[in-house]
Parts: sequence; structure tokens; C-alpha cells
Amino acid sequence: MAYPTRKPTTRKKRVFHRRKVCRFCADSTLAIDYKDVKTLKYFTTERGKIIPRRISGSCAKHQRSLTVAIKRARTIALMPFVGTVD
Amino acid sequence: MRRYETIYILDPDLSEEQRKSVLDRVEDLITQYKGFLVEFEDWGSRKLAYEIKKKVRGFYVRLDYCGAGDLVGEMERFFRIDDRVSKYMTILLDENADLEAIKAEMAAKAEKEAQTRSEQPPAEGAAAPPETEPQSTRARQEEA
Repeated sequence: MAYPTRKPTTRKKRVFHRRKVCRFCADSTLAIDYKDVKTLKYFTTERGKIIPRRISGSCAKHQRSLTVAIKRARTIALMPFVGTVD
Repeated sequence: MRRYETIYILDPDLSEEQRKSVLDRVEDLITQYKGFLVEFEDWGSRKLAYEIKKKVRGFYVRLDYCGAGDLVGEMERFFRIDDRVSKYMTILLDENADLEAIKAEMAAKAEKEAQTRSEQPPAEGAAAPPETEPQSTRARQEEA
């Protein structure tokens, strides 16, 4: 009764990861454009924050151009700096 | 030559003439500074993502043009002074724009448009006049 049935340390916690693929790498016809608010909206939260790469799954190169595009869209009032949560 | 893209927002409550005077003024600037207007687009009155000068709507105008840096400087100076313009943004599209290549591209585009236009009328039964103007500035004048 005193013997532990298994060592808790050896058992690895298996977290299922779905490999996220960068949308812009998967489809090369998609272009990142600051005027295209519909596409950019997908990469922001409801509050208007830019979604990090680890969550959205986009690659480093495209994430960089995404942030620039979103910031440009904000400058010219196509996207909000702070959105309201309704 | 460099290729730039400028978007500016006009007061939505302006009358047609007032708006046109701003648009003409900017276009004059481009010719004055030996620039070349590639594309003109007006997006009309759009909802802004945030208020600018207590206004929730704005009249968007997009310009795609070639020119030197002094043209951009002068244009932005004008935008800052004129209070009919509520916001503007200029972006560098191409560091070394080839004017000839752009002109050829525009001609090809206009030709393609004319072709699709000439293909459509027989179905409608009306012969539309062939559009040969390469500049989209004309399109705005038709609307105005």
C-alpha cells in the first residue's frame, strides 16, 4: 500500500498543440495592405490590440508587416487605437 | 523619382465646390512640382475609427503619385494649414520608381478596361463610348 504506483515526475504532461500556419505563407496571393481593414481586423482583438504571434500563428516576417499595416491603418482612422467592448 | 501614396481626410460637411477646390489645389501642386499622378481615388464619406475634430465621419481621398520629396513637403504643409483637411498620411511606395514603366502599366490597364467595356455593351444593347483616358482623375470629374 505504501508503494507508489507510478512516479509522478516521469509522466510527461502531453498538451495537444495544433500547428498553426501563417495565413500569408499558406496563401501567397494574400497581400498585407493597410487599406484592407477586413483582413487586418482578424489580427486584432475586439479592443483593437494586435494579436501576438504565438496566438495568431503568423510567421515572424508577416507579423512584422502586419503590425506596420495595422499601425498605419490606425493613423488614418481606418482602425481604432482603442476599441470599445460592447 | 519616388512613388508615394497619400491619403487625406476632408471634413464631411463640406459642400461640393469647397471639396473640389481642395482636390484641384492638390492636383495643381503635383503638376507644379513636376510630379505625376498615377491614380486618384475618392472613397467618399466613411465612418472613422475614432473621432477627429469631433467628427465621426470623414471624406477619404487617396492619391498615388510620383514625385520628389519637396512635393510631399509642400503638400503636407498645405494639409497642415488648411483646416478643411482633418488628417493626412503619406507613405513611400517605391524608392526608385520608373516613370516609363508606370505609364506603360497604366496604358495596359486602361486598354484592358476599354476592352471589357466594349465587350459588355452588345449584351446591353447600348454602345458606350470607349474610355481611353488613362487617368482616373477623369472618373472623379464625371461623378462630380
